[in-house]
Amino acid sequence: MIPVWVKGLVHDYVTRDEEGNKAEVKRALDHVDLNVEEGQFIAVLGANGSGKSTLAKHINALLLPTDGQVLTCDMDTADDRYLWEIRKSAGMVFQNPDNQIVASVVEEDVGFGPENLGVPTEEIVSRVRDCLAAVGMSKYGENSPNHLSGGQKQRVAIAGILAMEPKCILMDEPTAMLDPIGRREVLETVHRLNREKGITVILITHYMEEVIDADRIFVMSAGKVAMQGTPREIFARSEELRELRLEVPQAAELAHELAKRGISMPPAVLSAEEFAEAYKCAVSGKTTAKLTESPKSGASLEESRQDCPENNIGLSENGSKEPLLSLRDVRYVYGTGTAYETVAVDGVTLDLFPGEYVGLIGHTGSGKSTLIQMMNGLERATSGTVSYQGEDIFRDGYDRRALRSSVGLVFQYPDHQLFESTVLADVSFGPKNQGLSEEEIRERAEWALRLVGVSEDRWQSSPLELSGGQKRRVAIAGVLAMKPKILILDEPTAGLDPAGRDEILGEIDRIRRETGMTVVLVSHRMEDVARFADRLMVMDDGHLVYAEPPREVFKHREKLTSIGLEVPQVTRIMQMLAADGIPCRSDAITVAEALENLCATEAAVD
Amino acid sequence: MLRDITIGQYYPTKSCIHRLDPRTKIVGTMLYIVSLFLFRSFSGFLVVGTAFAGILILSHVPFRYMLRGLKPILMILAFTVLCNFFLTDGEILWKWKFLKITKEGLQRGAFMGIRLVLLIFGTSLMTYTTTPNQLTDGLEKLLSPLKVIHFPVHEMAMMMSIALRFIPILTEEADRIRKAQMARGADMESGGVIRRAKAMVPVLIPLIVSAFRRAFDLAMAMEARCYHGGKGRTKMKPLRYGLRDLFGYLYLACYLATVILLRVWQKI
Repeated sequence: MIPVWVKGLVHDYVTRDEEGNKAEVKRALDHVDLNVEEGQFIAVLGANGSGKSTLAKHINALLLPTDGQVLTCDMDTADDRYLWEIRKSAGMVFQNPDNQIVASVVEEDVGFGPENLGVPTEEIVSRVRDCLAAVGMSKYGENSPNHLSGGQKQRVAIAGILAMEPKCILMDEPTAMLDPIGRREVLETVHRLNREKGITVILITHYMEEVIDADRIFVMSAGKVAMQGTPREIFARSEELRELRLEVPQAAELAHELAKRGISMPPAVLSAEEFAEAYKCAVSGKTTAKLTESPKSGASLEESRQDCPENNIGLSENGSKEPLLSLRDVRYVYGTGTAYETVAVDGVTLDLFPGEYVGLIGHTGSGKSTLIQMMNGLERATSGTVSYQGEDIFRDGYDRRALRSSVGLVFQYPDHQLFESTVLADVSFGPKNQGLSEEEIRERAEWALRLVGVSEDRWQSSPLELSGGQKRRVAIAGVLAMKPKILILDEPTAGLDPAGRDEILGEIDRIRRETGMTVVLVSHRMEDVARFADRLMVMDDGHLVYAEPPREVFKHREKLTSIGLEVPQVTRIMQMLAADGIPCRSDAITVAEALENLCATEAAVD
Repeated sequence: MLRDITIGQYYPTKSCIHRLDPRTKIVGTMLYIVSLFLFRSFSGFLVVGTAFAGILILSHVPFRYMLRGLKPILMILAFTVLCNFFLTDGEILWKWKFLKITKEGLQRGAFMGIRLVLLIFGTSLMTYTTTPNQLTDGLEKLLSPLKVIHFPVHEMAMMMSIALRFIPILTEEADRIRKAQMARGADMESGGVIRRAKAMVPVLIPLIVSAFRRAFDLAMAMEARCYHGGKGRTKMKPLRYGLRDLFGYLYLACYLATVILLRVWQKI
């Protein structure tokens, strides 16, 4: 049996005008050929809009070919008779965990597929039990899906597919809305199913680090298969990937750059461990004696300094400047007096200074969302004080609505705030609420849109028609138009492809430099915050654990790992090399820094 | 405010009432409601109240939960009672300008109040002891004879259970959207009714757009899991009457008999 066989597949999305004539034809897939062997783990990579989701829908017969042919488990998707057999054989897991769970009880949801297939009751019960066990969710069978984390919900969705006993599982960006812990849970689960049950897996994603264990990778671009090969073959072509709006993991990038500079590194490395091995081999020609004798070329700036006392960890020694916003021993308790009482934020003290760039990191449920909502008075602290420019924002009579235009908060999903019929009108909403004159409203809206780089021809279009990256920009502009002093961004890069992510981060950094705004960037990607942040605040279980420059924070790798966070891969590599006695800076936080340092080390050894 | 509504919330314990077949509970509740409207005097409520109290004790649902369920309808309750107080003609006890309280009014007000409270008690006991999914299953089964006249029973039940699944998700989303707009300076807390209604537009539009998107996504996910209507579908948890339900129906039969006898002979 061949799980998936695609030949010359073309798909056109046709928009029709009122009379039913073709108004616009958009070619999403353009002569795609693809062949998947039984039991393989396949990854389909591609930037947003490259056609990868459309391809998945074809394999599941949710779409039918405009031209060409798709065979799923040897059945033609265009043949009506096979429809249910195809969907049963090639189950599909979607991106949004909430929008694919049908029932209000976990086990009933897992049973939904078999119920539709008319499986007898006793067998449904035993299948549900087995499938929940296979994804490690047996304990949650009687729970409501609403009380599960994103990763757990996706595992329930996988169990729901498994219960139909498929030969192949298609996953359409299953991790895009998850945090790192959820992502790991889901990936480990599918890898295990692939290994132990021999189920063919097709994983669609734009995260490179998820595909290193794949048997074969297909890279999509503009509706075509642009590259295919093993991870190693694909990772060796990092420049081409960058042109396709993708990236390779930092280890591969660093190895690639070193090789270009004449250090004998293999053309592709997949992991930090592999890099460390390869690099040691590359420099092992030189005597080990020399290595240990050579001066420690700046091995970390200074040894870890005294830890601040716990209660003022968020204060910086930036003593000369007045803080813009200060939090003192802030606590937030949910559901006081009920069984669900939880302390979301517990005794956080911190200062934000004019013009600084702060990264706020922590996994889901660490209290970071509640923390930022207290900064502009959307949530009221249970105890402790929050003051803006020295004034307590929770005192009676304080104008918190005015505060919100000074402390701008952009929420994670742009779809939660875009509502006007045109982009320009939507961005004007904030200034309008400030009670400004018509003229000034327009001026500010245009200024904000220019600042985030939304071109003028888009200003009159509906915000709902924009791409993900553009929507994100409009949402940021909507807050910028109020000219805040502090700009807080909650996960501004979630769901964007690597190039889109870098563009947004670049914009934010440029905005900060041009306007002198204080920026607070909430993220769970260490690589994102390491590059730009002056200070990194780490939240865990409601506590502020660290508030130091990223370089200092990353020294506590073990502690970070224990709270579910990882240092950037490049920092990990440098720490591994330093631990093995190679004289390099163990506190490098970007690829460029590491590259420069490793080249210098190499030169010193020579 | 949405958090205060306990009607439709499940109180998870494992009492014998919880384990009854949902059909028994639906039929029982219907009967209970009808009986409430049969009685014309206070002594009738004594019968209804006793029957209800018996079930409440068996269900292990604390009485304060029952009271909490009254909170959202407090306004309606007060309005009904006061209307009856003031607007019933009869023997005048107290009068001030056009307002008057009559003896009959007091009686009627108290009567209507008790009837309403018992009505809410009964229905909320059903939802406390039955999960929304069991309720839909029960309704689907009870209404299944209507399939003969091509009434889409299965589709209705599926719609209900999906609605129930998405209520908490959309409630949470509405809250997030409200905050996102408040962060842009939207004023949701002050002004008159019209201003407040206008202030809802920036919340409602994203919410509706999102609801549609979720609907499309869910429809596709259901199709991908081979959903094609109620035809040929089996059930993971089919409803089966047990011995417990026999006792349930016996209890109901006794209750019905008592009500009828009292109505006919005592005329209460």
